[in-house]
Amino acid sequence: MLIRILKSSFLKRPKPVLLVLLSIVMGSAVATAFLGISGELSHKMALELRSYGANIVLEPAAGDAGALKSDDLPKIKTIFWKHNIVGFAPYLFGQVDFSSAAGRQRGVLAGTWFGRPLQVPGEPDSIQGVKVTAPWWELDGRWPETPDEAVIGAGLAKRLKLAPGSDIVATAAGKERRFRIVGVASTGGFEEEQLFAPLAEVQALLNKPGQLSRVLVSALTVPMDDFGRKDPSRMTREEYEKWYCTAYVTSVAKGVEEVMSGSRAKPIWQIASAEGALLKKLDSLMLLLTGIALFSAACAVSSSLMAAMAKRSPEIALMKTMGADRLQIAAIFLGETLVISVIGGLLGYLAGDRLAVVISRTVFDSTVTSPLWLFPTAIGAALVVALAGSAAPLKRALAIEPVRVLKG
Amino acid sequence: MAAIIETSGLTRSYGDICALKPLDLCVPEGEWLTVMGHSGSGKSTLLNLLGGLDRPSGGSIHVRGTDLATLSEDGLARFRRDCVGIIFQQHHLIPYLTALENVMMSQYFHSVPDEAEARHALERVGLGHRLKNRPGELSGGEQQRVCIARAIINSPRLLLGDEPTGNLDHKSTTMVMELLRELRDEERFSIVMVTHNQEVAAWGDRTIHMDDGCLVREERTKSC
Amino acid sequence: MLTALKVIPQLLCWAVLVPVMCRSLTGMSTAVAAAAGFVAGVAGENLLLAYVGGELPFRPLRGICGVIFLLLWGASVWALYRSGSTSPESGQPTPSPLASGAAALGTGVLAGALTLCRLAPLEGGAVRLVPYLTLACAGAAVALGAAYAARFLPQRLVPRGIPLVALVVSALMLMACSVQRLDLFSPLSMEVMKFVHDFVHQFFESMLIPDHPFFRADVWGYIGLLFGDKVGLWGGLALWYLPVLLIALSLRLERLPSVAHIRQGAARRKLLASFIHERRLRLAAPLLALVFLTGAAYQSRFPATEYWDPKPVEVSANPAGQIAIPKKGEIDLEDGKLHKFSYRQGSREARFFVMLTPAGQLVTTLDACAICQPEGYGQAGNAVICYYCRTLIPLETVGKPGGCNPVPVPCSVKGDAVVIDGMTLVNTWESTVQVTAHGKGMGK
Repeated sequence: MLIRILKSSFLKRPKPVLLVLLSIVMGSAVATAFLGISGELSHKMALELRSYGANIVLEPAAGDAGALKSDDLPKIKTIFWKHNIVGFAPYLFGQVDFSSAAGRQRGVLAGTWFGRPLQVPGEPDSIQGVKVTAPWWELDGRWPETPDEAVIGAGLAKRLKLAPGSDIVATAAGKERRFRIVGVASTGGFEEEQLFAPLAEVQALLNKPGQLSRVLVSALTVPMDDFGRKDPSRMTREEYEKWYCTAYVTSVAKGVEEVMSGSRAKPIWQIASAEGALLKKLDSLMLLLTGIALFSAACAVSSSLMAAMAKRSPEIALMKTMGADRLQIAAIFLGETLVISVIGGLLGYLAGDRLAVVISRTVFDSTVTSPLWLFPTAIGAALVVALAGSAAPLKRALAIEPVRVLKG
Repeated sequence: MAAIIETSGLTRSYGDICALKPLDLCVPEGEWLTVMGHSGSGKSTLLNLLGGLDRPSGGSIHVRGTDLATLSEDGLARFRRDCVGIIFQQHHLIPYLTALENVMMSQYFHSVPDEAEARHALERVGLGHRLKNRPGELSGGEQQRVCIARAIINSPRLLLGDEPTGNLDHKSTTMVMELLRELRDEERFSIVMVTHNQEVAAWGDRTIHMDDGCLVREERTKSC
Repeated sequence: MLTALKVIPQLLCWAVLVPVMCRSLTGMSTAVAAAAGFVAGVAGENLLLAYVGGELPFRPLRGICGVIFLLLWGASVWALYRSGSTSPESGQPTPSPLASGAAALGTGVLAGALTLCRLAPLEGGAVRLVPYLTLACAGAAVALGAAYAARFLPQRLVPRGIPLVALVVSALMLMACSVQRLDLFSPLSMEVMKFVHDFVHQFFESMLIPDHPFFRADVWGYIGLLFGDKVGLWGGLALWYLPVLLIALSLRLERLPSVAHIRQGAARRKLLASFIHERRLRLAAPLLALVFLTGAAYQSRFPATEYWDPKPVEVSANPAGQIAIPKKGEIDLEDGKLHKFSYRQGSREARFFVMLTPAGQLVTTLDACAICQPEGYGQAGNAVICYYCRTLIPLETVGKPGGCNPVPVPCSVKGDAVVIDGMTLVNTWESTVQVTAHGKGMGK
């Protein structure tokens, strides 16, 4: 009979039911979408921030007089935090004379890896180089593929009137080397005044075989907190162990420093701390938004149920007159809300899933796979919304006095 | 015959307004009592008190030996579902349920629904052909007969009518009253009916007249 | 204190079980019988632990638990078979005092023994006197106290017959599953897994599943499901819950007493409604049983991990400075568990352990690693855990240096003894511990 009453009540009053259903669907969809994205978001955000470049710079400990060894480079992928190293790029800088068809000029020649496959025993192969650490470079042309190809900074290219396809000659200490320009890079930074050529060629030209002047490392790190800022040399042993075992940018830097002989690693602070703080804020923002969405959905449910209740009060009064006790009245109304919320949760989950996909496609340009636990979460959110929303209307329904209502 | 209703010094006041002045009333089992009076004379208040829909301000009211003043909210609900059937002037049927379902709903609150029995009850009030119709599709007289079926489905010992024929034309009124008498002769329940229609009052065994919350006159009607 | 916490779930179960049994059997005498049974169970199991030792004391208990679970299956099928044909009154004779006393006694003995097993030390031997006596007293007190509380239990909620059996068995299962060595659920799911695998293999072998290259890929997907690692769990859960669900179903299907003799419709319906209400209340016992079973499955799935961590046995060296530990002496070195020893040379002391690796090699290592502070190791299943950094080290790699592995000490097997050089041992210990302890003092 209960089922019959519920069925008829749904079929005969579609509008208020749909209204309640809509608010529940909205609530649970938003909750599903936000929660689904927020996990993915931290990851996506970290990658996004990563595109702002490296967060650790390695330089010779002895200053300009010293040099790093390029033979040490593969070791970066063997450190304790090797899985957190997204990429690195070695550089060797030198002052050279450039000459082209349009004239001569002194400038900086940078030897680097563009996108070099790196094989380290026991580790999966990876591509390392500028391509990975500096994805924000706008390249007109393509990356060099052979030893005699190079990328030129936009500023230098303008002055020497070079375009992809033309040649440039670099002269240093009497040696000469001809490069073919295959790409012009706009970076918005000092790189625009440099010529980028393959590392081995530059090492040969500058007569510095196997030497490097800088390595930029891009690593995924955990947000810096007070503990992470402590000076490792003054920590107790336990603290040092814990610090070493946490992927702070400082501890990753320390790990890299240990394998590159004669190096000093410095975190590039701005990015490192901004990254952590932003991610943390983003997470709490997502939670807050979810909470607000659920709360407003509950309010919407409550108000539309309240309105429906006002319309139905003769009906409730009649039920009471027929001898329905409070339990029976509550069963009818909670039963209605329960059915609506289960349906709403189901629809909300589907909608939220879609929403998450759309959001992540438009904002992060990538797909998102919603984890399985979102399903019970969506249904749970719908139930919470429905129950919270129906508490006040139910209380009012139970307080209805049949005499007053039926009189009029 | 034992009394089904016994009140002594029963009063009900809403704030300063005294809707019912101390009233001593005794209704024997099986009697058909008609209450007459102008609107505002306290007759509906009396009916609500008898049906356990309202609580007295003073005095005592016993229905089938139960003191209604001592019952809790849910106790009153149980009392209503077990002992009382009520018929209203405005019918008060649930609009989205069919005639049959309206009757079954009463069964549901009482115990368990039983479709065969509900159908039988509707057939008895002459609505065997309109089981699946919703209240909107029924005439006033038919709606009132659904109400009667609903009121008697749980075999109450007391049937209360609040101007049950107030909205009906003469023909329907006669039909409803005849039905009530027939049912009463069969089931032997008591009826307390409020009306201001002399003709309807004539169907009862006894009539009391009320004015300004007081019982002013009492007369026995000769059954026709 | 921690010991007391360990048995609280069991005692809670016991506290629920006794009042129910009191009400459905013969009242106070049932409680007395149950209390006596509990004390007897505790005492008997402790005697077994003390004088028999090893795995033997657990075996009969496990067997009994298995048998009563099978009996529950039988009872559930019987209940379902009977449900259509009887009304509740006819099928429920009140049990004789003797039978109910025996049932209460048996339940008590089992409950007591199971609860004691929770306290049994992992390295064998009996429970010490104080916890043992406390447990016996607590169990008896809970039983007698619960008998008093039983009078507040509404009669209508009290299960009788098979639902009572379901409640008792499921409570006992919960008690058993919190002891890892008595756990029934994991072997059950393991068996299910094995059965499914064997079954599918049989099908393959008898060519009922054609091994055809054009066999549709999605069908392979379904077959693959059967080999998933969750098959055992889900199958086990199904077998675990099914008897109680069947009992609940049989209650639900139970025929209501006839009300046709009552002529008046309203009175008839009222009676019917009261019968339905009563039947619904009778479902409370199976529901509670389901809760118990869920608890049992949960405890079996996520056991409170305890590490095998025996007390170090003191050993001494012969005049030549060699420590010889017999393979099959007081301690069986080749049982696959770690065995800790300590060695004292003057004021210098070293802690080490000997164990048989899965490769069949006896290795000797310090009870410390090269990095962490020497807090030692415990064994959990097929790994040892460093207590300091909580790193799990697979048994296969024990005896190999590096990382957080325990520092190996050279040893040789001579005849039926493991021989270690005492000097080397102490020196290795000191060099390791000094390095790790150095850092400890540094920052303070």
